[in-house]
Order: sequence, then C-alpha cells, then structure tokens
Amino acid sequence: MAQVTVPVARPRSHRSRRARRHVSIWHLWWAFTGVLFFLLPVYSVVQFSLQGVAHGQNPFHWYLTVFDDPNFRSAFWLSVQISLETVAASLVLMVPTVFWVHLRLPGLRSVMDLVSVLPFVVPPIVLIVGLAPFLKVFSSWLFVRPEVLSLIYVVFALPFMYRALDAGLRAIDLRTLTEAAESLGSSLPRTLVQVILPNLRAAIIGGSLLTVAIAMGEYTVASLMGFNTFSVYTYDVGTSTAYEGVALTFISLLLVWGAMLGLYLLGRGGSTAAGVAITDKNSL
Amino acid sequence: MAATEFAESGLQSDALVGGVTRKRSRPRRWAFVGMLPFAAYISIFLLIPTGELIVGAFRTASGAFTVSNISDIFQAPYPAAFEFSLELSAVSALMGGIFGFLVANSILHHGMPRWIRSWYISFSGMAANFAGVPLAFAYGATLGSLGVVTILLKHLGLNIYPSFSLQGLFGAALVYTYFQFPLMILLMVPVIEGLRMEWREAASNLGASSYQFWRHVGLPVITPSLLGLMVLLFGNAFSAYATAYSLGISNLVTIDIAQLVDGNMTLNPQDAYALACGMIVIIVVTITIYSLLQRRTSRWLR
Amino acid sequence: MATIELRRLRRTFGSVVALDNLDLEVHSGEFVSLLGPSGCGKTTALRIVAGFEWPDSGEVLVEGQNVLDKPANKRNMGMVFQAYSLFPNMTAQQNVEFGLRVRRESRTARANRARELLELVGLGTAMSRYPRQLSGGQQQRVALARSLAIQPSVLLLDEPLSALDAKVRVQLRAEVRRVQLELGITTLYVTHDQEEALSISDRVAVMSQGRIEQLGTPAQIYSGPRTAFVANFVGTMNKLAGTVVSFEDRVVRCGPMLLSVPDPTFNHPVGQTVELFVRPEDISLELLSNGDEPPSGTFEGRVTSLTFLGPVTRVGLATDLGPLLADVSSAIALNLSADTVVAVKLDSSSLRTISG
Repeated sequence: MAQVTVPVARPRSHRSRRARRHVSIWHLWWAFTGVLFFLLPVYSVVQFSLQGVAHGQNPFHWYLTVFDDPNFRSAFWLSVQISLETVAASLVLMVPTVFWVHLRLPGLRSVMDLVSVLPFVVPPIVLIVGLAPFLKVFSSWLFVRPEVLSLIYVVFALPFMYRALDAGLRAIDLRTLTEAAESLGSSLPRTLVQVILPNLRAAIIGGSLLTVAIAMGEYTVASLMGFNTFSVYTYDVGTSTAYEGVALTFISLLLVWGAMLGLYLLGRGGSTAAGVAITDKNSL
Repeated sequence: MAATEFAESGLQSDALVGGVTRKRSRPRRWAFVGMLPFAAYISIFLLIPTGELIVGAFRTASGAFTVSNISDIFQAPYPAAFEFSLELSAVSALMGGIFGFLVANSILHHGMPRWIRSWYISFSGMAANFAGVPLAFAYGATLGSLGVVTILLKHLGLNIYPSFSLQGLFGAALVYTYFQFPLMILLMVPVIEGLRMEWREAASNLGASSYQFWRHVGLPVITPSLLGLMVLLFGNAFSAYATAYSLGISNLVTIDIAQLVDGNMTLNPQDAYALACGMIVIIVVTITIYSLLQRRTSRWLR
Repeated sequence: MATIELRRLRRTFGSVVALDNLDLEVHSGEFVSLLGPSGCGKTTALRIVAGFEWPDSGEVLVEGQNVLDKPANKRNMGMVFQAYSLFPNMTAQQNVEFGLRVRRESRTARANRARELLELVGLGTAMSRYPRQLSGGQQQRVALARSLAIQPSVLLLDEPLSALDAKVRVQLRAEVRRVQLELGITTLYVTHDQEEALSISDRVAVMSQGRIEQLGTPAQIYSGPRTAFVANFVGTMNKLAGTVVSFEDRVVRCGPMLLSVPDPTFNHPVGQTVELFVRPEDISLELLSNGDEPPSGTFEGRVTSLTFLGPVTRVGLATDLGPLLADVSSAIALNLSADTVVAVKLDSSSLRTISG
C-alpha cells in the first residue's frame, strides 16, 4: 500500500496575530501626550518646591516653613471645619429632600434636575454679587460667621450631591423597600434612617467627598468675604513667597488626589452613584 | 385606621379604604410641605440673590428704573473684558475639547490595555478639581518666567519670554486647558463607549477602513455630543474666577465684577449687577445650546 | 459560489478552550448552521471566519484561498450581527448603500442596488426610514440587505434572530432561508435555537465545548443522534437502562420488557448494560381498565404529570422501565389524569443506542 505523506500546513497564527491588535502610533501618541500634559505641572511643582534651598538645609525646607506657620494651621483647620459643616448641612438638606421627591413627588424630578443645574448658571462670582447686599447688612464682612460660608457652599455642591443621591436612590427600589417597611409597621422617618440610608452609603460618601473637595478648594467667595481659608491663605502666601506657595500647591494637590482616589475606589465597588462625572467649577 | 392612613399617604398603589379599592395617582397637597426646607434654602441662597441682581441691574442707586447700567457695560473697559473672556473661553474650550476627544478616543481603543483608561479617569477627576489658586501657581512653577519648563527650554536654546505670558490668551488658555481637557475626557468616555462595537464591525465587514468608519458613521454620530460638550466647556471657562485672578489677569468679566464687589460697594454696584446679568445671559445661552445638542445625540446612542 | 473550509481551528482564552481543532466544510451554496449552547465556540468560529478574531492555529479557506492573512474589511463577506448593527445616522437605504459607497460605486448604481435588495427583503417602502423608526425584525431585514449589497462570497449570520420576538423569529427565519436560496449564497449561521437550525439548514453542526459533536442533515441529527449530548440538546430524549440479552438479534432487556433495537451499529456483547434512547413522540399510550394486564408488546405505566403544549400534551409516566415522557395528541390526553394507568408502547423502530 502506498504511503501518502500529507504535507502539514504551515501555521499562520504568528502572522495573523500581528495584524490583530491595531494599536497605532496615533493612539499611543495621544495617550502619551495626555500623560505628559498632566504630569508636567505636577513634576514642576515638586521640583520647584524643592528649589531655592540654601546649602546644607533640609530639601523640604519650604514645607517645614509652611507647617511651622501658625496661619497655615488656622487656615487649614478653618477650611476643614467649613468643609465638614458644608457636608453636614448638605446631607441634612438633600437626603430627606431627594428621598421625598423620589417617594412622594416623582413629578418634581424634572424640576429638581433643573434646579440642580442652576448653580452652574449662577457661578460663584455672580452669586456673591447677589448676596452682597444681604451680607452687608452688617457694616463689614467681619460679622459674618464661617457657618454662613458653609451654607453658601451647599449651593455649589448642590449639583454633585443631588446627582450622587439621585443615582443612589434610583439604583435601589425605593418604593418597594418603603412599602415593605411600612407594612411591617415602620414610620417614615424610621424607614428613612434604618432602611434607606444604609443602602445609600456609597452615594452619600461619594457626594460628601465631592463636597469636601469643593469646599476645601473654593476661593472666590471666601476671599471676597474676607475669610482666611486654606485657599485664601495659599494665594496670600504664594503671591509673596513663590516657594512656599508652590509647596502649598503640592499639599492641595495631595488633598484633591486623596478625595478623588476615595471616590474612585468607591466607584469600583460597583456603586453607580460614585461614578458621577467629577468636576468642580467653583474654585475656578 | 391604618388602612386609611396608608391610602392617604399618597403612594401610587391600590389602597383598601372601607372595602373599596381606590387608586391614588396624584400626591396629596400636603406632600409638598416636605419640600419646604429645600425650597426655603434655594430661595434664600440662590433664587432671591439672583433675582436681586437681575432687578438691581435695572435700578439706579436710588431705586429708579433705568437701563443705564446695561448701557454702561458696553462702555470701556467692559467690552474689552467681555471680548477677552469670550476669547479665552472659546480657545480653552477648543483646546480642551479637541485634545480631550483625541485622548479619550485613544485610551478607549480596544487595543489599549485597560489600566490606561482607569488611570486617566481617576487622574482626570483630580485634575478637573485642581482648578483655582493651586493650578495657577503650578503653571507658574512650570511655565512662569522662572518655571522648570521655561528654564529647560532656555537650556535647549528656546527663549519663550517675553512673547509668551501666562496672562496672555494662549498662556491663560493653556492653564485653563488643564481642567477643561480632563472634564472633556470624563464626559467623552461614555459617548465614545456608546459607539457600539457592532457598528465598527459592520463597517469593517462591509469593507470600510478605520478612517471611513469615522468619517461616515463615528464622527456624524458623536459630533453633536462633541460640540455640545465643547459649548459646556465654554461656559465652564467663562465662569472661572480664581484661576484667572491667581494668574494675575485683569481684563476679565469675572475679575471686573469682583473688583466692583470687593469691599468697595460704593464704587457703582449697579455695574456689577449689570455685568453679572450679562454673564447669566451668556451662560444660559450656552446651556441651552448644549442641551439641544445633547438631545440630538441621545436619539442615536440610545 | 464559494466554499468555506475550517481546518483544525484552535482558540483558547487563557485556560478556556473555545475551539478545539475544529474542522468543517461548507459546500458551495449550502446553508450550514452551527448549533449549540452558549460557550460552545460557535460564535468564536464565525468571528474568526469574519476576521474579528484570530485563531491560535488552524486555517480558514474560502474558495480554496487562505483568508487569515486578510483583515476583516478585505474579506468580502457579508455579516449579519445579532442586534444594533445598523448605523443610526443613516436611513435604511443609506445603510444598504454603505458597502457600495466604500467600493466607490456610482450614486445611481448604489440606489438601484439598495432598492433591489430592500425589496427582496420586503422593505421597499421603508427606504428612507431611520433605524430607530424600524421594528427589530425590520432592522434585521435591513441588516441582511446591507450585507448582501456588496455581493459577498459568503454570508455569515451571528444569532440574527435571538433578540426578536418569538413570532417574528419564525417569520424571519423563513425569509432568511428564502433569500439564501434565491441567491444561492454559501451561508454559515450561528444559533442556539435548535428549532431554528433544524428548520432552515441544509446541514447542522451541533457543537459543544469547542468541538463538533455531530454534523448532518436536520433529519439525521434529530432521528440519529450519535452522542448523548446531541440526543439531549436536540429535542427531548427518554433514556432507558437495560442489559443486552442477544447480540445477533440485538435484543435488550429493560425491566419486564424485551426490546429489539434496529440500530445496525449495535455491537454490545451479551450482559453489557446499555442505554436506549427513544423520543417522546415515538411512545404511544392506551387506556387500561382497572386490573387488566397490559396487552403484549406493551407495559404498564402510571401518569405522574400532564403538561399541555398546544397540539400535544407531554405525559410524565412512572413505569418499570423508569420514568418516561410521552407526547400524545391533546385530544387523547383529555382522558388522562394523575395516576391513570395506561399501557405504554414503544415504537421499536425508533430505539437507538448511542456510543458517544
């Protein structure tokens, strides 16, 4: 019997695989350029903040100077205080309101969507113009307490807090949970606190982080009202001593980074609320 | 007792009341009471101040009706400020918009590793929030007269000063781009991901190259979104204050307003009202254009 | 028209083997379905042919030519996706014309061809409608027209009807077959719906875990399943366990019954335990009066469940041969209720053993 040797076909895989992924130079170039654009100022800040140090001195000289400055501590503490008050006020106002709209007044949803966009139409500089006459009832700004600043910041944080809470409530079946709780005898406030809130944890944290970022970084209203917040302090220091100003800039960067990282980690946990597009236009 | 309360609670459900099933579809009037705190807050801190300044724009210092405030803003130095504000907003919106789109498109390419996308999204969140005082100083450290990059370029023989300035149109726009471009990325990612893979594959199957796909399908579908987002960026830049102030820019609408408000309210607050009004008008126009374009996009990307 | 040849296709995703040395030949003008559950590799195979995936090893030949070194947009194949593939910014006509536009056909030529094809699929009046104005079934018709406009050498369809309503699915699959026959185009069709595959294909390849379990005509697949997987996947099968009593006569003892198996491939020695397969429609029932012995050739069964399926009723039975499902006409089933005792008769010509 004749043996027929069948030639084995040459495997084509190697050549095909090269054609498979079309990551062209074009895509790589833009991805790289973006990274460069982002990181160049960051690098410059770090580099600059370590410059101008006399020989023998600690390279972190400017940072130490900043930390030693009592004004830094009081400005930082003031900003933290205001941020926390803003978050508290915002939550106290928004959580029950958004809950109520979702539960009892679903027709108002579109109105709320509109209202939540209003702060973008009335940017801080415009808002302060409108608020000035009221706040000027006292002869100077000094009579205004920081708490007022917090209340104003709630407006700036409104769009973000609303979106976070709205998304969070949409993700849970609010109606069913509430009805189930009521059928078991719970009153509405109790339902809100013991049933709904625990399910909104991610949305609340997300919204709060954004609020903190906004409050810590806000400059416009704080400066015009004469408060010595962290932002105002940074500006004052930076315009007199460039090096310290840049050191403070780096500290701000770390703060914002921390808040956004917190948000991002939250978002990866699967919560839709934390996946809100994050931006703050209020320290612009 | 409990059944009646349940029925009266305004929930959209069938309720058994005295043996008769009644469907409640409209909320009881008192449900609106729950909105009082929010309504009060919004009125005090947003609506009334806004109303104040709109009304104030048409009032003289003594309270009489006038349009002289409005006409004031058409006189020097305000038109120049408006011009520069609009220019700066437009340029930074274009720069940030186009750059953001190109980068977003690249990082979402199916050949790119996933971690690039994640890195960009988290960094963009940070960068978009970094605006204001720290951003201006950061760019001062980068491209200021003693900036790290400035000095580096000098070493390479390139002296960008004095023709370059962080307070000039291009310099300021570059700074603005630092928060415009990540905002564009964040907003663009869902739009590009909304371009279904099936369209690309179908186009490829029908013989189209990558360029042809974008030209005939990809770009037409996302262009309304692209434009809408750039308009949004425009409004974003127009409202900016802290960044510009920290850069030392002086002929900007927002900065002019601040000067009129800063402690010296005796210096013609009426002009401040008029300017603020002008700003609101411009922003409302941009948001309207944006939402019209968005509606166009959502029709296709459903 | 072109032939398609898949030779020893292999594709793994990490540790998962999606295609395990797949071999398949589709003859010119033939309609072959790849049928199987999700994850069996059918879509992967199709996408490799189309050029959206690449195999780790193996060849794909169309009309004898290797296509693996060509990118997807140079293979001149028509592809219909499961859903959402119409370009939203173009009308139906523009969608159909797209492939011709890429090939730089003149405007009149494009328009004529688009009209021709849209009329072929029954949408001549919907030419200027946008995808969002069309129903799911209409969209898929347009997708079909679009893929045919370029006069492809082969037609590939990836579960094109899965996203549609049941009734539309039945209508549309006949349409697809009609068009395919009219144009005589070689077609590879992927589906998980066995009724679909059986009703419109020339041949069906039942797949599981990256391999073809059986390739044959619909009739062959249905009445002559060669592996247990095929038997269970395609239609419903009853399984009976028995012992071989006679090798030459091919007799198996199941419980009290001696069953003669007509399968010519029967080669089990005496004493061996085998499994016999019989379809529900090959079982018939007769009412048994209380206390009567079942007539010869039948055995006793007790009704355990009745499932109304429309034209037939599926009767669950408890018997000495094990639990069985029998399909009887619904009119007869009216006389049955739980615990009714019946005489069960198996159509012995339909008994099969399966070696796989």
